[in-house]
Amino acid sequence: MAAWLVRRLLWGAATVVGVLLFLFLLFFATAAPEDMARRAIGEKAPPEAIEQWIANHGYDRPRVWNPDDPLDTMLVEHFRRMLTFDFGRSDADDVPIARRLREGAGASLALTVPLFALGLPLALGVALLVAFFRETYIDQLGVVVAVAAMSVSILIYILAGQYLIGKLLRWFPISGFDADPAVVARFLALPVLIGVVNGIGADVRFYRTVFAEETGRDYVRTARAKGAGDGRVMLRHVLPNALIPILTHEVVRIPFLFLGALLLESFFGIPGLGSLTVDAINANDFATLRVVVFLGAVLFIAAQIATDVAYTLADPRVRLG
Amino acid sequence: MSAARLGARAAAALAVLAAALGLACSNDPYPDADRDARILYTAFREPPKTLDPQVSYAASDQLVLANVYEALLEYHYLKRPYELIPGLAAEVPEARPLGDGRVAYAFRLRHPVRFAADPCFAAFGGDARGRTLLASDVAFALQRIADPAVNSPVLVTFARIEGLAAFGERLVRLRAEEPGFAALRIDEQYRRAGPVEGLRVRDPDRLEVVLSEPYPQILYWFAMPFTAPVPWEAVAYYDGREGRPAFSEVAVGTGPFRIARYDKRSRIVLERNPDWYGVLHPEWRAPAATYPTEGAPGDAEAGHLDPAFAGRPLPFLERVELRLEKEPIPAFTKFLQGYYDLSAIVKESFDQVVRGGAISPEMAARGMRLERSVQPAVYYIAFNMDDPRVGAAAGERGRKLRQAMSLAIDVEEFLRVFLNERGIPAQSPIPPGIFGHDPDYENPYRRVDLARARRLLEEAGLAGGIDPETGRPLRLTFDTGDTSVQGRLRYQFFIDAWKQLGLDVRLAATTYNQFREKVRKGAYQIIMWGWIADYPDPENFLFLLWSEMSQTRSGGPNSANFADPRYDALFERMKTRENDATRLDLIAEMRALLERERPWIELFHPEEYALLHGWLRQVKPMGLSVPEWKYWSVDPALREARQQAWNRPVRWPAYVLAGLAVALLVPAVVTWRRERI
Repeated sequence: MAAWLVRRLLWGAATVVGVLLFLFLLFFATAAPEDMARRAIGEKAPPEAIEQWIANHGYDRPRVWNPDDPLDTMLVEHFRRMLTFDFGRSDADDVPIARRLREGAGASLALTVPLFALGLPLALGVALLVAFFRETYIDQLGVVVAVAAMSVSILIYILAGQYLIGKLLRWFPISGFDADPAVVARFLALPVLIGVVNGIGADVRFYRTVFAEETGRDYVRTARAKGAGDGRVMLRHVLPNALIPILTHEVVRIPFLFLGALLLESFFGIPGLGSLTVDAINANDFATLRVVVFLGAVLFIAAQIATDVAYTLADPRVRLG
Repeated sequence: MSAARLGARAAAALAVLAAALGLACSNDPYPDADRDARILYTAFREPPKTLDPQVSYAASDQLVLANVYEALLEYHYLKRPYELIPGLAAEVPEARPLGDGRVAYAFRLRHPVRFAADPCFAAFGGDARGRTLLASDVAFALQRIADPAVNSPVLVTFARIEGLAAFGERLVRLRAEEPGFAALRIDEQYRRAGPVEGLRVRDPDRLEVVLSEPYPQILYWFAMPFTAPVPWEAVAYYDGREGRPAFSEVAVGTGPFRIARYDKRSRIVLERNPDWYGVLHPEWRAPAATYPTEGAPGDAEAGHLDPAFAGRPLPFLERVELRLEKEPIPAFTKFLQGYYDLSAIVKESFDQVVRGGAISPEMAARGMRLERSVQPAVYYIAFNMDDPRVGAAAGERGRKLRQAMSLAIDVEEFLRVFLNERGIPAQSPIPPGIFGHDPDYENPYRRVDLARARRLLEEAGLAGGIDPETGRPLRLTFDTGDTSVQGRLRYQFFIDAWKQLGLDVRLAATTYNQFREKVRKGAYQIIMWGWIADYPDPENFLFLLWSEMSQTRSGGPNSANFADPRYDALFERMKTRENDATRLDLIAEMRALLERERPWIELFHPEEYALLHGWLRQVKPMGLSVPEWKYWSVDPALREARQQAWNRPVRWPAYVLAGLAVALLVPAVVTWRRERI
């Protein structure tokens, strides 16, 4: 297991380095430091101020290769900062990025944790229900509704939800966010509802298949023969045995809890890490963008490793090596 | 666990969830506790980049900045054309020539004025409740403009203050050469880098500013936040280290409001500053702390001089609540629901809101008002005068081509199609409300006259738009950094207009970055561009065609790279003159020159439409980024009543959905139970 872990971590590190290199090349292929400076200090800024900004932010160094001092380049600095977790300040407004991340992660989690906490049990519950009533009208209706739900783009849910629930029915604010406990539930209700509806179709279909396969197995028949009730069979026998595919499906989602739901955050104006990413792209804010991308890559790889480890916990027969 | 118990638990969980949703069920974005307060609710489209007054050049910053910091001078809230009034200064100073070309301005500060309470003062042994403003604070702010570490975009302007640029250079040298200098406290660094000859602190409330050349526009700059005094304690304390925010994220000013909350990616709250001089000393009746008693013609009829407000001490609001709204449509919906007090008008809803330039009867019935104001700005098409085909090198032929192209553009149609007529056609660079704008002047090349345009092309040797060299229609390129579909349509409008003359103009849409690069290098033929005034003076528009401001030669805003010695000579004489008849004549001469030379096709001066709810009072659009909120007022009782009436939730679909779910499940459960038993 230790050897396996080391191997996986090395592969992960190589991937992260590749991602950072790719991001650097891609970003500076399209944006020059002058553009970044102009975005940061304004269209009207004279050339002297632009040059000063570039010097103050270290973008006056050679990009990739410096014959006088090979370590004094933007690329080296880029790697040095990321690999030592020294994130520095935003290019757009000079705010420490670590602070932005803390604030943004809070808002992202405020949206994604309820989304995850409601969405997963609901999908599992509905899937258990339709698997239990399989080949009845409930199962068939479940198929129709789930397929219909997964065929619709999240953009449609967002726009229709905002129009119907926000504007016509006036149940919740149409968009926005405020961490004030008196009102935070109002703001989160609609995006969480939309997130749940958007995800539930595919999840129910998937879990139903998993459960249906399990309910046909011998151990289920044995359990029934021993006199276990329907609820007990589904929750104590079927659910734990179906955990492997559920884990595969869910654990890789955990990084996105922190990184936020890009579209939901953007459309609802939730100041999480998802909208931070979108803003960084729009503002030519390389310093922030690379941090979000870097953390995204790290978290994703960590989650994949965690998934594999979780297999051994869910199923003692699995060995990593 | 039996299925029945499981079902019961699931039902209980659902009931709790439904109850939670029921509690959350309200579209009111604000806590109930705020209902009766005199709060202004408004939106911001972009988070402020910086709150450092010496750095900020963006309207998104000034929204906050202009209300928490104060400059020495301000603009009269109601009078048009714009008129300077004293702000922190006790009076607007007169220029005093010192001979040898230098000019001095003697500012006397109001006394005592206090900086808002802030922990930064206690950190250096002072009183956290704030301290008195000194003339040296104004000098400190101006020195910051010259400090390269601050990165102020306006050093070029303020370098006219004697010795300011040299001060910046000394600072750089000391920081580089003397070990430990850069670690000194900021006021100590500035003191060591030596005094600035042109900033003379006479006593705690007197500052003399000496310019090395006459520049009367400097007074307008003293009405912008760039010159707002900041306490050195705040700059030294808020360094972004050890958990302290950076100075760009805080505001320690003297203004009528102070920041109560600054989550700039979602919510900003300003509250009335109890230490503002207008609150502490209403008996001064300071012009910038009292609602005006006189205004422009029409202001009395528009209610701007309501006796309930005129002459009363400011501010009227207790608090300003700002929410980030990146998307215009949800923001407008919230405005219609009564949750924002004012709004710009989104294109999609324009016809619902405005009819024939006035507010629609439906909106008027809801008590809303429409405030229209022409902005001090100009949009134009620029020809690159360095280009061999359309520019100066093409001589008479190029001039006639530009004249012909100018005669083909129907800007009224453009405004109708793309801007809901929100703008007035421009005849010259100078917009209404600025000295030198002549409402009776009609530019002979800014009307549509295709016959004349074709004749001009013929005279230019381009009959029918055919380039004699190739025998095909003359091909030109129109560059843009806007790749959106909307943007393309706008540019296509101009291209189609020129097509009528037989010209083959092609659109080159690239990323904004690439576009800026082309403009910087002068590698373009035609672009569309705009300029919003920094200050209300014709110099701030006519300098856009001054050769010293040429984009390719000096990086200045003269993107057309227009360089005409006659124009330059007139500009030099006009720029520092007071607003007299001679200045008007000079402007007319320059206008005539532009009329014939056509480096620009002047398009329009944009018009701002703001929708206001009936409970928001005393709002007169300013156009410039200036402190306005202290003049505004709201009626919370009326707002509360309207919000209640407009936002009753429609609940029945929830009951229908719940009923449907139960109806679906019941038969299955019934069958299952029957089969079990």
